[in-house]
Amino acid sequence: MAIKSIQYKQHTFDISYEIINPNEKVDIIILHGWGSNKGLMKQAFGSQMEGFRHIYIDLPGFGGSTCSVALESTDVARIVELFMIHINAAKDIILGHSFGGKIALILEPNVLVLVASAGIYIEKPLKIQAKIALTKVFNMFGLSKFRSLFIAEDAKKLSKPMYETFKNVVNEDFTTEFKNFNKKALLFWGKEDTATPLSSAEKITTLVKDSTLYTYEGDHFFFMKNAEDISTKIQSAFLSTLSH
Amino acid sequence: MKLTILFGGASFEHEISIVSAITLKDKLSNFDLNFVFCDQDHTFYLVDAAKMKAVTFSKGEHKKMPQLSLANGAFVQKSMFGSTEHKGTVLNLIHGADGEDGTVAALLDFFSIKYIGPRVDASTFSYDKRYTKYLCDAINVKTVKYEVLNAGKHSNITIEYPLIVKPARLGSSIGVSIVKDESELDYALDCGFEYDKALLIEPFIEGVKEYNLAGYMANDKMHFSIVEEPQKEEFLDFEKKYMDFSRSEQVLKADISDELIAKLRANFERVYRGLFEGSLIRCDFFVVNDEVLLNEINPIPGSMANYLFEDFASSIEELSDSLPHSKRAKVTYEYIHSISSAKGK
Repeated sequence: MAIKSIQYKQHTFDISYEIINPNEKVDIIILHGWGSNKGLMKQAFGSQMEGFRHIYIDLPGFGGSTCSVALESTDVARIVELFMIHINAAKDIILGHSFGGKIALILEPNVLVLVASAGIYIEKPLKIQAKIALTKVFNMFGLSKFRSLFIAEDAKKLSKPMYETFKNVVNEDFTTEFKNFNKKALLFWGKEDTATPLSSAEKITTLVKDSTLYTYEGDHFFFMKNAEDISTKIQSAFLSTLSH
Repeated sequence: MKLTILFGGASFEHEISIVSAITLKDKLSNFDLNFVFCDQDHTFYLVDAAKMKAVTFSKGEHKKMPQLSLANGAFVQKSMFGSTEHKGTVLNLIHGADGEDGTVAALLDFFSIKYIGPRVDASTFSYDKRYTKYLCDAINVKTVKYEVLNAGKHSNITIEYPLIVKPARLGSSIGVSIVKDESELDYALDCGFEYDKALLIEPFIEGVKEYNLAGYMANDKMHFSIVEEPQKEEFLDFEKKYMDFSRSEQVLKADISDELIAKLRANFERVYRGLFEGSLIRCDFFVVNDEVLLNEINPIPGSMANYLFEDFASSIEELSDSLPHSKRAKVTYEYIHSISSAKGK
C-alpha cells in the first residue's frame, strides 16, 4: 500500500492506493463502491489479469484515504484524475463497482467496466420517502437526534463531510452522461441485485451505444465469486479495441 | 520458572506478536506461563493458555476474558470479591510500536515490574533507524551509508540505484522496497510514507552476505547464539519473512570462519553493552569486502530468535536471573525539613 497527497480546491486528500504488476504497460484502474475499500476489490481481482498494471484506489473518505469536505461525484472523479496524473496512469480501462461505476463513467476511459454500477436514479419506495420527509420535519423543529432512527444503513457512522457527500451522490442520475459516453462499455450484473437492480443495467445498455451486458447469479457483490470470468471478458474486450 | 508473556500492542506488527507468543508457548512449555494480551485500545487481558490460538484474537474472543490493570509490581485482576495479583517477571513480546519504542519499557519501569526486554533508552536507539545510525557512529560500528527523506519536503537523493527505501520507525519489512531505477521510485516512496513521515534511503547491495546474530548478557557475560545466514530471495518481504516465522527447527549454522564470527560478536557486544542489558536482541549484519556493517537491531526479535539458541529455555531463565534494577530516587524531604527547622516551625 502507498499514500499520495492530492491538492484539490484548497484541500489535501491523502489517497491510499496499491499497484499490482507495476511493470505492465496497460493500466486498469479499479474503484470500489460506497462504504467499501480497495482491499475488497483487490481480493476479487488481484490475482487476475496479469497483463495489466492494476491500480487499486481508496476513494476519498474510504479505506485509508482522507476527506474533510463534502464532495460531489464530479469532485471525486477529479481527485481520482489528479491522482492518476501523479502516478502517470492512463485511462485504458477503468472498472467501477456501484458508486465507483459513476466515477469511472465521468473519467471516460477507453474501456468502461461497470460492475453493478450506480448512476440510474430509482424512485424510492414510499416507506423511504416518508422517512425522509419525517426526518426533515424533525430537523425543522430541532429534533435532529431522531435522525438516527431513519438514517440509511449506508450513512450510519459517517463523518459529517461524508454524510453530506452521501446526500450529494445518492440521488444523482447519470442518464445524460451514459448517453454521451461513446467508447466501449462492459456491464457485469448480479441478477438478484437489490441495491442497483438489473433494470438499471438494461437501461444503461440502451443508453450506451457500444455496450455489452453479462449477468451472473448473485447479489450486489456477485463479482467476488465471478472475478475470473469477468476478467477474461475484460481482457478480450480490451484486445478488440486494439485491432480497430 | 514463572514468566508472563506480554504480547499484542497497537502496532503494525500486532499480529506477528500474537504468533510470536504462540510459538513461545510451545518453546517454553516447561515454564509456568501467564499470557497477557494488550489489544489495540491498550486494554490488558489475561488469556487462558488453552486459548492461545491466532483466531482467538481475530474473532475478538479475548474480550470475554478477565481484564487486567497495572499496580505496583503486578498486573491486577479485579473481581467481585477483591482482586488477584499476577506478579513475576514479564517478557515483553510486543513488536514494533508500544513494545519496541519504549512505551512498554517505561510503563513496566514505572510500576516496578521486572521484565525481559529493551529499556527506554535502548528502545529509542533501536526503534528509529536514524538514531541507530547515530549510535553506531558514536560506538564505532560501521553501517551502510544513508540519506533521510521527510514527507512534504523535497530533497534529492544522491545515492545511486539500486537503492532500498525504509520507513525510519518500523521493524520487519513493512513499507520497505527495493528500487531498481527511477521509474520505481515514486511508488516506493509512497509505500514508505504510508507508515512513517521519515524514510531512510540506502544503497541496495546486490548479493551482499547477511548474517544474523542474537545474544544477551547474564552475570556480566555475553552469551551468543549461533550465526545464521538467512536464506533470501532478493530480500524477505513482510509475507515471506513472517509466513514462516513460527519456524521451529534449528537453522543451520552459517559456514563462516572463526575470525568472522569473532568480528560479528565484537560488533554485537559494542552495540549491546551499556544499553541493552535485560534484553535478548538480534543484530542483523552485512559483510562487504570483509567489513562488518550493522544493518539493524531487533531488540524484541520475532519469536525471540529462539531457533538460534541451542537451549532457548535455559537462556531465558539465565537472562531473567540477571535483569537490571531500575533505580528509584529516594524522597526524604530533608531539604524541606531543613528549611522548616531553620524557620523555627
